[in-house]
Order: sequence, then structure tokens, then C-alpha cells
Amino acid sequence: MHRFFSLGLRGQLALAALVLLALPWVGWRYVQEMEGFLLEAQEQTLLGTARAVSTALHERPALMALRSLSPRPFELGIDPLYWFPDTPSSADTEPGPARGESANAREGEIEAILKGIERSTSRIWVVNREFRVIALAGNLKRAESAEVSGSWYADILRELSSRILQRPTENFDAATPEDVLSSGPEVLAALQGAPRTRVRQTPDGKAAIVSAAHPIWAGDEVVGAVVAEESTNSILSVRNRALERLLLATLASFVIASAVLLGLATRISWRIRRLRDETEGAIDAQGRITRKLSGTRAGDEIGDLSRSFSAVLERLAEHHSYLETMASRLSHELRTPVAVVRSSLENLKLEPSPAEARVYVQRAEQGLARLSTILTRMSEASRLEQGLLATERERFDLTLVVSGCVEGYRSAFPARQFDLLIPDAPVAVEGSPELIAQMLDKLVDNANDFGVPGTPISVHLERVGAVAELGEMGRVVLSVSNRGDPLPEGTRERLFASMVSVRRDAGGDKPHLGLGLYVARLIAEFHRGSIHAENLPDGQGVAVKVQLTPLA
Amino acid sequence: MGTAMPRRIALVEDDPAIRANYADALGKHGHEVLAYGSRNEAMAAFRVRLPDLAILDIGLGDDSDGGFALCRDLRALSAGLPIIFLTARDSDFDVVSGLRMGADDYLTKDISLPHLLARIAALFRRIDVQREPKAADDILERGQLALDMKRFTATWNGARVELTLTEFWMVHALARFPGHVKNREQLMREANLVVDDDTVTSHMKRIRRKFQAITPAFDEIETVYGMGYRWKG
Repeated sequence: MHRFFSLGLRGQLALAALVLLALPWVGWRYVQEMEGFLLEAQEQTLLGTARAVSTALHERPALMALRSLSPRPFELGIDPLYWFPDTPSSADTEPGPARGESANAREGEIEAILKGIERSTSRIWVVNREFRVIALAGNLKRAESAEVSGSWYADILRELSSRILQRPTENFDAATPEDVLSSGPEVLAALQGAPRTRVRQTPDGKAAIVSAAHPIWAGDEVVGAVVAEESTNSILSVRNRALERLLLATLASFVIASAVLLGLATRISWRIRRLRDETEGAIDAQGRITRKLSGTRAGDEIGDLSRSFSAVLERLAEHHSYLETMASRLSHELRTPVAVVRSSLENLKLEPSPAEARVYVQRAEQGLARLSTILTRMSEASRLEQGLLATERERFDLTLVVSGCVEGYRSAFPARQFDLLIPDAPVAVEGSPELIAQMLDKLVDNANDFGVPGTPISVHLERVGAVAELGEMGRVVLSVSNRGDPLPEGTRERLFASMVSVRRDAGGDKPHLGLGLYVARLIAEFHRGSIHAENLPDGQGVAVKVQLTPLA
Repeated sequence: MGTAMPRRIALVEDDPAIRANYADALGKHGHEVLAYGSRNEAMAAFRVRLPDLAILDIGLGDDSDGGFALCRDLRALSAGLPIIFLTARDSDFDVVSGLRMGADDYLTKDISLPHLLARIAALFRRIDVQREPKAADDILERGQLALDMKRFTATWNGARVELTLTEFWMVHALARFPGHVKNREQLMREANLVVDDDTVTSHMKRIRRKFQAITPAFDEIETVYGMGYRWKG
């Protein structure tokens, strides 16, 4: 029963194991949420930093009057602290409201504040209302930490994950504050008095920057803003580590679970297949039980199934042997009452009786004769089976037996034409010529009963597959065919079982018990041959073929 | 069947209806019938006085092989007493066992009364002829084979071939017309036998084996497949 799309147990379990693929997805969602939390936390922290710095700078309007940062290109990795007090060479500076001693003192104060800020991991700058950067501290970039290689699988995993995941890089384009300021809504919002955070991409898109801006108040007026910035690289590396571990864990569990499931499925399907093979092997083509099923001792459902199969087969075998011996036992049991009837009738005939009574006696005797024939036929198979054990095998020429028998049939069935075809050369086989003749009797009887009256019966003996040069003897096929109705579907194998007849009406005075072909099969098997029936190619008749192995 | 003197025939059969029927039929033919239903009953009577002929069933009540044991005991009492098995059992094994026990013939219950009577008469004739050695011989000779038609004995090459009555009649049917094929039905008719084809086959096998015991190369009886048998002569 193979459908076009059929999956074995292993395939089905493998499909079921795909459910495990949901695990990495769930993990991925979890990591994403975690990343979101971290990002929010980072924003809040930055905002806190900005607030703290601005708190230190509130109510210092003089500070904002300081010269702003000169618009020169930002240089990476140099001094993280830029502080530009008044530089005379600078053209666009405004003159501060206070110069000299007081300015120096303030500078020192602010410097102290910013020194403290410098310790933070953020980049912090202070802008005035004109979007001018008046102080800048810290660096967006962290020192690249050398990835310590743990073990070989960690390396492989990292290599693998780097193909999937975007690794945080410190090699990004840290935009100069001017660019940020000109495009920064958070700075704008802070200068209008509202603290604000923002996440933006670096211009080259290699990293994301979180920035938080907080206003600096002087009285009721916003005099500037503190902007704190950090890259999200630390979150990214945390996320990546989490994803790596997730990948490792799910991959490992997937592999282990798949291996376990596959092993389980293989074992189950192997056991089921073995059970199937054993069950199929226990019954031959004729439906006989040839050997018993061992039946495993396994305690699970399959073991249970095999034991119940074994029990079923055993009961079936008992029933089968009961059926096969039933005919002979029945015939034996019936012989005694038949003998009573027969001897009674014979005694009755010795008595003087009226003429009309004799008619009934005669009819009773006719019925009795038929009954005797039935009984004899019923026990024929079992007598043959017993006889086969003692039969000596001899070497004989099959062509002589077949041609002799056909001669006999021609005189026994004068109304029937027999077509005989035999090889010119002798065909030596080992066995019993009497049994072969008996088998041929059964086959010809059968063909005669089924054949349309007036049509010939063909008896053919042919060698097939013989290769003389190789000494290959091939097989010899003896076929008896008659014209008539083809075999009903599905009866070919059963035909040769004991007491099976596919005859539609058991008419006529000849009893038909379905034992003739069974006897033929016993004889064919005694000769280590096989027997089967098939419809003629034109569907207008049936051929029974016996295959035997000739001797050299 | 004009028998000069009444014969005493012992019939051991466990089925009362068959026993009564056979007893009646044999009685009507002038025989004195002693019917017994069990082995012990029969043996007790045989120890007192032996019958002229014993007809035994094999299965006697619960004793499924009681007839065989009875035959052995009876043979021990008398070597010359004719014994016939008349039974429902028709397997080769039972036939061989019965004949090996020393029975003169083995018949199945399919046999008709006239056939049974013919056999009984033949057995008595054989005994009578043996008692009168001076009687004129009626010998059929075919080469090395000699059939004594009065004593129902056969010799091959001068040696006695121990044939049962059935076998003797079959050999006779074949040897009477050497070269002629006798089919199974003819052989059965000649042997006053109602059996199936296989039984004829196994009879022929046993007959051949008995001759081969004297001359291993014996092949006078030829099987004509699909037709029957013939005596080559």
C-alpha cells in the first residue's frame, strides 16, 4: 500500500522534531526584548548623566558665555578632553562677560566638573543656545577588547555566529558634534527646556548612538544643554553573547533530541519491519502457516503486538491443520455407519422381497456407492501424505510417463481430444512415476470437468531456460490446459488448498470436494516442484502448470 | 457357495450393527458364526476352541489397535489359521502392519458381501487343498513364475512367494495374458476388491518387492503409465 507521498516512521518523527526549531525563535524574541530593555536602561542612564552634569552647571550663566569650541575637525583618540577657553586667534568668538581672574576661576571650576565627567564612559558635551559646543569630554569609542578564545567549539561558534549576527565594531564614524547638533532634535528639545533622548545611526551606519540631552537652567532661562552620548556596542555585545549561547544551546539540544528521536524511530520501525517480515514469512502463498512466530518478550506495545500475532498464528495453524485432517477423519468416522448401511442392504437383498422394494434397494445402493466414492476421495489426500513419507525416489523419463498417460486418457475419455506436445529427447527427473501419473490424472480430471465439451485438452511438456553449453538444465514445465471460463479473480493460490473448489455449481453425479488439485500440489511439492494456475492469454481457458527440475 | 461341511467363522467386531449384519449374512451362506465384541471375550473363546477362520476389526472399542494384538495372539495359538482383517482403516501403514502380523488378507469395510464371501471361500479352498496333497495340480506357468490355482500359492524361480490372496489374484490376472495391459479396474475386479487406484498402486509395489526379495533384478511387472500394468513374460 504505497501511496505516492508516504512517510516512514522516521520521516514522521523527523518532521515532528522540526517543532524544536521554535525554540531558537522564542529565544531570539527573548533576546530582542532584553535588548530593548537594555537600550531603554541605557537611555535613562545617559539622561541621568546629562541631568547630573547639567545640575552641576545650573545657574552659571557666565559659563555659557565662554568661548565656544573652535570649529576644527574632530580628531580621534587624542585628548579626550577639549576645553577651549578664550583663544584670541579664534575669529568668531564672543567676548565673554567676565575675563581675567574670575574667568580663570570659573574655568578651573568647570574643568573640575568636566574632569569628573571624563571618568564616565560617555561622550559629553555642553552646548550653548547658539548650538555651539562649549565643552566636550569623553569618547564614543571603547578600547577594542581582544576576544579571548575559550575553546575550539567556542571559536567555531563565534565564527558561525559572526556570519549570522552583526558584530559591534568600534571602527565607526563618530560624527562631529556639529553634525549631531544641526540634526539633533533632542538638543533642540533640551534647549527649549525638555530633556530628551534619541537613538541614531552613525553616518556610516556601522553603529547606533544613544544620546540624551538635558537643559541647563539659569533662572527661568535655558542657557545651554548637556548632551551625553554612548554607542550601543556594549548592549550589542551582551546581545551577541546571549545569542551565541542561545544558538549553542538550541543547536546542541536540537542535535541531541534529533539523535534520540531518530534512534527511537529507527528502533521502532526496525522492530515493526521485523515483525512484518516474520508475519509475512510465516504464511506461504497458499495461506498455510509454515513456521511459528517467535514473539518477543519486550514489554511495550510492539512486543504485545508480536505476542498476539504469534498467538493468532498459532491458533490459525491449529485450525488449519484441523481443516486439513478433517476430511480424512470425517471419512474414517463415516466408514462404519456406511458399512452398517451396506451390510444391511445386502442382507435385505438376500431376503425375498417384492419387486418394487428392490427398486428402492437399488437406489439406496447407488447412493451408497456415491457416498463411498466421496469418502475414498476425502481420505485420498491424507493417505497420499502418509504414503509420500515412504515413497522411494527413482530416476525416470518424464516424457514416457506423460505420453503413456495421455494414451490412457484418450481411451478413458473418448469424447475428448487431447493435444500432446513433448520434447523429442528424454527428460529425466527424480521422483515417483506413479505419483506423477496420479498428479496428471487429477489435472486432466480437472481440465475435463471445466473444459467446454468438444474442445481439446492440451498436455504440454516443455523445457525452459535450458542452456546446453553451460550445462544449465533449466526447468521443465508440465501444463494441462482446457478451454472454458477463466478463473475467478483472487482464487489462483487458494485453488490448491485442501477442500477448496471454485466451481460454481457442483452439478452432475460426480462428487467434487476440491481435493484433486490439493493432491496435485502435494505431489508437485514431493518432487520439489511448484504448481500454479493461470488464465490462458486470450482469457478463454485455464492452464495449470507444474514446474519441475530435471536431472542432468 | 456349496460348502460341504459347515465352517466355524469367528467375527470380532465392536460395532453391534455391523457384527449382526455380517453374522446374519455369513450364517445364510451356511457358516457357523461366532460373533465377539471385544478382544478379551474373543481370546477367551479361542483358547477353548479355535475357529476355522477369523475375521478381525482393528479398532475394538477403546482399544484402537486391539485387532493387531488379537491377530498376534491368535497366530501364536495356530500358525495355519486363516485370518482376515476387515476394518475401516485404509492407510498403507495399517495394511502393512496387519499383513506383517500374519494376517492372510486385509480388507476394508467398503467390500461388498459377495466379494467377502468369495474370499472366504478361496481361503477355505486353500486350506482344503493343502490338506489333500494328492489332489491334481492346476498350475499356471509363465517362465519362472508358477501359480498354483488350487492352493493359491506362487513360486518364482522355484522359491515360494508369500502372496496374500489379493496379491495372488492380481498376479494371476496379469500373468494369465502376458503382454496385455490390465488397468486398475480390471485388477480390482479380478482380485474381488473394491479399492481406489492408489491401493492398487501400493499392492503392485508390495508384489514387486516380494519378487525382488528372491530376484533383485525382477522387472516382469511393467507399469504402463496412464493405463495399468502388464506381465512382460
